[in-house]
Amino acid sequence: MAEQALEGSQPVDLTKHPSGIVPTLQNIVSTVNLDCKLELKSIALQARNAEYNPKRFAAVIMRIREPKTTALIFASGKMVCTGAKSEQQSKLAARKYARIIQKLGFPAKFKDFKIQNIVGSCDVKFPIRLEGLAYSHGAFSSYEPELFPGLIYRMKQPKIVLLIFVSGKIVLTGAKVRDETYTAFENIYPVLTEFRKNQQ
Amino acid sequence: MSDAFCSDCKRQTEVVFDHSAGDTVCSECGLVLESHSIDETSEWRTFANESGDNDPVRVGGPTNPLLTDGGLSTVIAKPSGGSSEFLSLGLVATIKDRANEIYKRVEDQKSSRGRNQDALLAACLYIACRQEDKPRTVKEICSVANGATKKEIGRAKEYIVKQLGLEQGQSVEMGTIHAGDFMRRFCSNLGMTNQAVKAAQEAVQKSEEFDIRRSPISIAAAVIYIITQLSDDKKPLKDISVATGVAEGTIRNSYKDLYPHVSKIIPSWYAKEDDLKNLCSP
Repeated sequence: MAEQALEGSQPVDLTKHPSGIVPTLQNIVSTVNLDCKLELKSIALQARNAEYNPKRFAAVIMRIREPKTTALIFASGKMVCTGAKSEQQSKLAARKYARIIQKLGFPAKFKDFKIQNIVGSCDVKFPIRLEGLAYSHGAFSSYEPELFPGLIYRMKQPKIVLLIFVSGKIVLTGAKVRDETYTAFENIYPVLTEFRKNQQ
Repeated sequence: MSDAFCSDCKRQTEVVFDHSAGDTVCSECGLVLESHSIDETSEWRTFANESGDNDPVRVGGPTNPLLTDGGLSTVIAKPSGGSSEFLSLGLVATIKDRANEIYKRVEDQKSSRGRNQDALLAACLYIACRQEDKPRTVKEICSVANGATKKEIGRAKEYIVKQLGLEQGQSVEMGTIHAGDFMRRFCSNLGMTNQAVKAAQEAVQKSEEFDIRRSPISIAAAVIYIITQLSDDKKPLKDISVATGVAEGTIRNSYKDLYPHVSKIIPSWYAKEDDLKNLCSP
């Protein structure tokens, strides 16, 4: 919390963020290989924070409070960790889950940790004419107000999917490193200002 | 019997036409003057008082370029191919042909196997309506889509656009829907006067200048509500909901969003400032 407050108050590095806006990371999805076969039923019975319903889903769902994350733990030893707000927290959380598995008696290791997806969001604080944007960037845009209120923008380089809303709120997803999110936002920001909706 | 020149008799002689063989024969010397003539007269005689249930015509329909062999072969138990959907929505033939063409192109890529056929057909119809500049709402398409959901149709539509884009090497252009696209049909369903329809169309055009964060269809429904409230023929919210497919609560909330701009949106020739004050506050 204090970390976030400090981050908010720090001056923005304009060489890296010419728009003056830094997207906030909202969710990190990472994977790790514990490299041993797991007995999911015994894990679910012994661990306090685990739920296991093999009829619905073939993995144990485990949660920890700090960092606040959710893990999917499979019998093969593969694990998916979601919900962290930074790469370091995702790795820390994954290590904590691995430690829990070790304490339950399994010879868990920590191999091939990898960030799979980073979701970021920010607010440009002005309304956007989505239809004009969709028209002039037709090859990258999908705007179907009947089906989804935001414009889905599939940027090619970097390969990021952006959700752009009339309110000026932006969601960026699909990044594997943080800089991809930042670069994608800097790429789209001039377009957003071009299609700024001027209030009457 | 008629006269023709006989090369053997070397003069005009009477000739006989043999219908069964198609020969023209000289009646004096028996020489065949012409053979294998084609009889172009009518094969059947028709009478006004006869019933028309057993038409003995020998020819079929024209070739269909959408079928693999032009439709020249005989098909047993051919499926309807979604024809009933067109009848229900009252769509014109160009949209039907466009939808069939889109479906054939997707089918030819052999990549639609395993996908929801109902949603795929509905999505082809939706895209055809959009491309022919007569868009229908997804809810309207859902009502004739044999149970395919709005989400399924949306997903199928994205899939088709992607496949056709790959085929053509460029994106499929459909534009974006506007509230004005549906206005005439919605107003017609409600039986509104031409003056009210014109006012509603102008109003939705103006509403696009404001930052109203609603689906275009919700805005259309709210504008219709305002226009009818200002007219002598007031419409209850329930009727507008049925005609537009927008829920009553959504229309009420959209009306709330439009209310601050109502004096700029409603054309002045339709309602004066005093009339606007009579609108109930949301």
